[in-house]
This record gives sequence, C-alpha cells and structure tokens, in this order.
Amino acid sequence: MSPRGPLWRAALFGAFALGMLLLGSWLLFGRGPLPIQTDLLAMLPATERHPLAEAAVDQLAHANGDRMVLVVADADDDKAKAAARALGEALTGQHVFASVTAELPPFDLDQFIAPYLPYRFSLLSDADRTALAQPGYAAGQTLARRLNEPFLAGIGTRVQDDPFGWLQHWLDQQPWSRSPLVPEDDLLTAHRDGLTYVMVIAALRGSSYDDGVQREALAVLDRAWQDVGHDHPGTQLLRTGTVFYAAAARAGAERDVHVVGLASTLGIALLLLWTFRSPRPLLVAFLSTAVGVISALTVTLLVFGQIHLLTLVFGAALLGEAVDYSIQYLCARANMGRHWRPQDGVRQVRPALLLALGTSLLGYLLLGLVPFPALRQMACFAMVGMLVACLSVFWLLPALSVPPTGKPLSPSLVAMARGWQRRMMRLSQGRAGLAMLALAAAVALPGWWRLGHDDDIHLLIATPADLAQQEARIRDITGIGNGSQFYLVTGDTPEATLQHEEALAQRLQALVARQQLDSWTGVASMVPSAQRQAQNRAALAPLFAPGAALEETLLKAGIKASVAQAYVTAWPGQVLKISDWLSMPLSLPFRYLWMNQHDHSYASIVLPQGQDDVAVLRGAADGLAEVSLVDKPASVSALFGRYRQYASLWLLAALVLVGAAFAWRYGRGAVRVLTPPLLGIGLSLAALGYLGQPLTLFHWMALMLVLGVGANYAVFLREGEPHTAHLPGASYASVLLSAVTALLSFGLLGLSTMPALQHFGITLLLGIGITALFAPVSLPASETYP
Amino acid sequence: MRCLIATLLCLLAGVLHAQEADLLHQVLAELAAHPQVRADFTQSRENPALAQPQQSQGQLVFVSGHGMLWQVTQPYRETLALTGARTARIDEQGQLQVIRNGDRGVAQVSQMLQSMLTGQPEEALRQFTVEAHGSPSRWTLRFSPRQERMARVLSAIELSGDRYLQGIDVEMQGGERTVIRFSGTRDAGTLSPLEARALGMP
Repeated sequence: MSPRGPLWRAALFGAFALGMLLLGSWLLFGRGPLPIQTDLLAMLPATERHPLAEAAVDQLAHANGDRMVLVVADADDDKAKAAARALGEALTGQHVFASVTAELPPFDLDQFIAPYLPYRFSLLSDADRTALAQPGYAAGQTLARRLNEPFLAGIGTRVQDDPFGWLQHWLDQQPWSRSPLVPEDDLLTAHRDGLTYVMVIAALRGSSYDDGVQREALAVLDRAWQDVGHDHPGTQLLRTGTVFYAAAARAGAERDVHVVGLASTLGIALLLLWTFRSPRPLLVAFLSTAVGVISALTVTLLVFGQIHLLTLVFGAALLGEAVDYSIQYLCARANMGRHWRPQDGVRQVRPALLLALGTSLLGYLLLGLVPFPALRQMACFAMVGMLVACLSVFWLLPALSVPPTGKPLSPSLVAMARGWQRRMMRLSQGRAGLAMLALAAAVALPGWWRLGHDDDIHLLIATPADLAQQEARIRDITGIGNGSQFYLVTGDTPEATLQHEEALAQRLQALVARQQLDSWTGVASMVPSAQRQAQNRAALAPLFAPGAALEETLLKAGIKASVAQAYVTAWPGQVLKISDWLSMPLSLPFRYLWMNQHDHSYASIVLPQGQDDVAVLRGAADGLAEVSLVDKPASVSALFGRYRQYASLWLLAALVLVGAAFAWRYGRGAVRVLTPPLLGIGLSLAALGYLGQPLTLFHWMALMLVLGVGANYAVFLREGEPHTAHLPGASYASVLLSAVTALLSFGLLGLSTMPALQHFGITLLLGIGITALFAPVSLPASETYP
Repeated sequence: MRCLIATLLCLLAGVLHAQEADLLHQVLAELAAHPQVRADFTQSRENPALAQPQQSQGQLVFVSGHGMLWQVTQPYRETLALTGARTARIDEQGQLQVIRNGDRGVAQVSQMLQSMLTGQPEEALRQFTVEAHGSPSRWTLRFSPRQERMARVLSAIELSGDRYLQGIDVEMQGGERTVIRFSGTRDAGTLSPLEARALGMP
C-alpha cells in the first residue's frame, strides 16, 4: 500500500464527514420549523386493531388537543367575568391563536329550536316514546299540564309549535342543554362552592407539538395573564390543554439533553485529559465521536423525516459508547510509546473493534426489530453512530495521530487497574471461582425473588402533578370528558352506525340510572337512527290518525283553531338525516364525533363522562356488535407488557448469538469471556429487585445494551492483553476508561425527568459498572498472576 | 338566612337607591320570617296560541331552603315538587318521578324564581335587576333580565305582597302572560311525611 493511501482515505473520510455536517444542518435548520417531535404518542406504534380507532384517537387529539382551555375563577362574580373578558380581549388578535372564545356571539334562542321544527314528529325523548306507547295515553292531560305549568310555559319551544312539549323534552337532552356551563353575561359560566368560573377557549393556529406555536402561545398567555392578574388581584387562572403538557415534556427533555450531554462531555473530557495527559487524544476522540453523532443525526433525519426528542436524549448518552473505539486506539498508541506507527495501531485494534462493533450492531438491530417508531429511531441512530465512529478509527484517526507520544497512560490508573485485575483473576480461578459464582448467586437470589413488573404507561410518562390537578378541576367544573377513553361505534352505513350507537346508549342509560356514569355525548342522541325516528313517528301516529280527533283535543284545551290546524297539518314532517345535522351550525362543536373515511366505513365516537373505572365502561360495550371501548393508555400499557416479555426472550436469544460468536473465536474460553456480561445482567436484575423497582420494557432494553457493551469490554480485554504484555494492567485500564465514559453518559440518564429514560439509565449504570468490575474474569486461566 | 340577606344587600348597594334597598331588605326579612308557608293559588295564563286563558288552581307549600310543592287540583290533579334544579312529579302511589333535572338556558328562570322564593336570592340577582316599589305593608318587586339573551324571551317578573307574598306576574316577550294569586296564606304547620319526603327533608 502506498504511504499516500491512509492520507487519501482520511481526506475522503473528512469530506464525507463535512458532507454529513452540511446535509444534517440543512435537514435540521434549512426546512422551516425544527423537525423535532415531542409528541409522546407519536413514538408509540398503532395499538388498535381497527384502523378507524387510530384515526379516531387522532381526531380526538386534534379536536381537544390543539386548544387551550382556560378557566378564570373568583369568589366575586363581577371580577371573575371582567377578568375573563380582559383575558379574552388580550388573547384575541394574537397571531398564534386561530380563534378565542370568551364572549359568545349574540345569538337567538330560536337558533336552538327552529332548525328542528321540520323534524319535530321524528324526535322524541325515551320517556315520551314509552309513555305514548302505553294504552290509553291521555294527550289531553299532557296538553293541560304543559299549558298550566307553574310560572312559565312558553319557554323553549313555543306553544303553537310544540303544544305537548315533546320536542322540548327531546331538546332538554341535547348536550348544550346539559352542560354545567351556562351563558351568563355572554360568557360561559359555572357557579360552584361560592366561586364563579368563567371559561375561555383559545384554539391554536397549528399543532400543540409545534415548537414555535408552543413557545409563542405560552408567552402570549403569560403576558396576557400578568396584565389581567395585575388589574384583578386574587383572581385564579386554571389551564389545561395538550400544549401545556407538551411544553412541560419538552422542557424536561431539553433539560435532559443539556444535563446529560454537557455533563457527560465535560466528564469524559476531564477523564481523557487525566488519562492521556495531552490534549491531542482528547480532540481526536471527540472528533471521532462527533462525526459519528452527526452522521447518526443526519441519517435518522433522512430516514424518518424528523427526530424524536427521546432519540436526541438517547443520542446524547450514546456519546459514551461511540467514544470507546477511539479510546482503544489511543490507548494502543500510548502503550506503544516510541515504536508507534499509525497503521500498526489500526492492525492491532481492528479485530477487537470489529468484534465489538459486530456485537453492538447485533444488539441495536434487535432493538430496531421492535415495532416502536421511537425505538427504531434510536436503533437507527445508534447503528449509524457506532459504525461511523468505528470507521473513523480505521480511516480518519491514523492521519491525525501520526507522531508517537512520549506519554504513556496515567500510571496511577494503570496501577489501579493492575491491582484489581490481579485480585479478580486470583478469585476467579478453579474452586475459588466457582465459590465466588455460588456466592454471587446466593446474594442475588432474594433480589430475583422480589422482582416484579409493571407496564402502566402512566408510570413511564411523568405528568406534572400541578397540570394534572388543574385538568381534574377543569373537568369537574366544565364536564368535559377525559378524552383518553371513548367508545368507537362503526357501521357500513350511517344508519347501521347510528343503530349500533343506540344499542350502546341503552346500556349507558342503565349505568346513569345506577349512578355509575354522569352522562355521555354521542351523535345518535343528536341524530337518532331512521329506525328510531320511524318508531317515534309510529308512537305518535295513532294520535294523528284521521279519526283520532287530535285537533278537537287541542281546541278543547283552548288552543286557537288556526294554531291547532297548522299543527295537525304539519304531521308527519321530515326525517332528520346525518347530512342535515352536519349542515346545521349547531352541530359544529360536535362534528368531530362523526367519521366517514370512505363509502361503507362510518364511525361515531361516544364520550362517556364521570366514570374513570375502565372495567365499568368496558362492561357496557360487552357483547355489542361494532362497539368497542378504545382505551389508549391501557392499549399502550398492554403493548409494553407484551414487548417486555418478548424483550426477555430476545435477551436470551442475543446471549446465544453472542455466545456462538465467542465460541467461534475463543473455543472453550468463550465461557470466561461471556461471564462478565452475564454477571452484569444477573446482578443488575438482583439489585433492581432489592431496590423494589418493578421491571418495565425499558429495563430490558437497557439489559440488552449491557450485554452489547459488556461483551465489548470482555473482548477488548481479551484481545488487548497479548499486545500489552510489557505493561500489565494497561489493557484493563483502557477497558475501565471505556466503562467510566459509558457510565458518565448512560448513567447520567438516571437523572432524567422521564421515568422511562431514568429506568434505562439506572439499569445501565448497574449493568455496565458490574460488568466492568468483573471484566478481568474473561482472561484465559493460563495468564494467572502469581 | 340573615347572612344571605346581608350578601344580597351588599350586592344591591350600588344598584338600588337607599330607599329601595331598604324596602327590599324589609320585604325579604318579612318573607324569611315565615320559613314554612301554605297557600291556595290560582294561576291564569294568556298565550298567543290560546283562544282563552288557561286557569288552574291548587295549593302551594313552600319551605325555605328546600323548595316547593305545587299541588294542582283543578282542572286536573297533579303534584310537582320543585327543588333547586329538579322538578319531580309525585304520582298516585306517592312515588317521585323526576321530570327534569339540571335545566339550562332560559328554563333557569323557573329555577331562579324558586330559589328566590325559598330564600336564595344570589342567583336571581345575578340574572336580574330589581326595582322595589311601595311600602312594607304593600310592596312590589320588579325583576328585569340583565342578560340580553334572556331579555329577548322574558320581559319581567313582578312579585307583590304584604306580610306574605300575594302575587306573581310573569310577562314573556312572545305575548305570554301568567298571573298567579295567592290567598289564605298561613304557616304550614307540620308537613305530612309525603310532603317532607318530596322536598327532600329529613
């Protein structure tokens, strides 16, 4: 090979790295908003078997998610209303809000009634339909009661339009009649416990997860409320909406990226400086890692179009593993002293690095097989990062580390490593080794015994308590449901869908009667099925039959002849169709409950209110055709549980694969090389048991990494030892160096605000720490120290 | 009760002339002095859809803080229990049958009137401006809706009386007019078990 070869390769690699940097920057900053995803749901796979259910989850998230629900509260009624008005004015006209609803537009009560008049004979409350079906229904008495109601009769529907009050009874059941919020002084108001609550809704122009929208909306709200609060001291503001949760999650993740990224960078820098006692290795190591991380970022953006914040946090931690390759190379350089030739160094570390890279890629590949978008991203990120970092050692680093160094590894580190290595090896030979193994198992056993698991998604996503509390209060005051559990009712035609929903409504009504449910909101209560409407007309038909003398009943009760005639002539009116309803302005707030994906595929969403026990809700849907309870958190939890079980099997499979690779290279020695990672995994599990941490999917994912990284250490040591025979302990010192850098990065994830990452970090901290301590066990028995 | 009246007066201080506030105070105090009242009523209603006015009569029992029983004897027999937001019918077997629960919108007027008469005037004062006329021995309170939405439907409610409430007049924008007159007003004495149960009393 010509001496120019390595230089050429380095130049080409440098150009590649620069290209990656430019492409990555363009992908990240050159295309409008930052392509960083903070939606936790977006990181999860589809959980519902019915494709419409996923669409329904999205539709609900959009209807409820891209808006702020604000509630102004004060004991003084006027003050609460004035503050709400001022807040509404301050938010209106801000670009970030598409619309702000504080003061209601002027409208006529007639608008609630007139659209239904053509359909009045098809719309009956359940109670009226039942009563009408009784033999001997006394229409005259119903009429007299309505006309002589105490205090007021002409409220709601007019007597001439609805003398018997049937339409009024049906309208009384409509969602806007049941809302705890009533229009008062043109504001949506509720009175509770001596406080006046006024609702203000601000719809965002854009997604709650859009970084720009989030920042601006929160800033505008804070400014507005500061002014309003100043003018109305003591007034409270309750807020809820996806945007607040998303902002909290983003702030937490950003903090994590900063803390983990900065702390691990600083820690690793100090450690490298101390070990190599020269700045060049530090710069070389960071360059290699940076090229790896930048390439990983760029490729991930190319493949996925956007990058999840979780991946970024994980990426910050990955620094610690990517830096291992350059550390091995630099240690070789330090150990060779004045005999150093860059290409010799490459030749010396190549087998160890390739074996290590192979096991790492294997580990991440297994991670990538999990159909979690977020995990796939992490796996892609890690595989590209590790591969490029490793290649940089072969192709870029030789050109950057040409001169030999006169400074060997920090002697104190080497001495420490040698001391521990001796002790470990002495203990691991023959009977002592078996006794040690038995002791470790005895210590671990009670820990294993205590291991449990918990897949509840709520344990994995930290919700700020303050936000959850405000949301609960707002739900309580406004009657808005929680939105994470709902019924999905499907059908081939609108009619079939509505009929299925009516079957569900019957069950829900029974729950309400047993006080197990407050209420529900669904399309069928606003547009009964054609079948139900026909039943309603059938119930009325005998009264309107030619010989039934309804007109006489009306006249006898004192109704004017012209009014009576007009009423009787209006029979039978029209059937209310879903298309009629959709075109009414009144339906606007409820249209998202109706879905029509294509011909022969219709669905409606039914939102239950006032029951958080999923078992009760699920029971109501039991055995009903085309009705299912969609419970996203529970589906996700179940999915996590399933993958947790798979993950434990995968770990076993990976162990077998890695074991096979070792057996191919080391023959019978493979058992020794495999022992440190095995001990790392086993003892970490025991420690988690003692800590009382229930296992989640994330613990198992971390254990997979422990296997990958732990195997690397054993390999580095086993492969490196023959080359450093003149410097006992130097090889183990380089492994310890790798381990500490990994602990500095992965271990810091234990400080994460996200429980999922925290679990991940703690497990890695334990696993890598233990594996590194036991790594000397992997050395062949013949090299026993006296 | 005194506490409620004090609150009421504070709320009204800015709206009413001192004299009117004084009269309202006296009227409410006098009404509150009879926490359990029984009276006979006649209700007459005119409505544009009606050729002649509707007439009904019966007996009213109202209990401060609990609600009222509206017992119609003519032209049909029916007992309604009006308690807060709930309206229930008591059938021949003495069973309560809820007709309406938690009415919203303009139907609140009826609820407001009930709570006004049963000694809970805050709701009424949020929704209405009050004018007081006359003297404590012969007074009129006129309630006009403050909410424009409601003013489009309801013109005014007028209460009149002396020691007791003697009349309620309700005028609607659509031309409906309801006149209720009370007579033989007296302290209710002991309520029957059915009456007490219907009003949710222990």
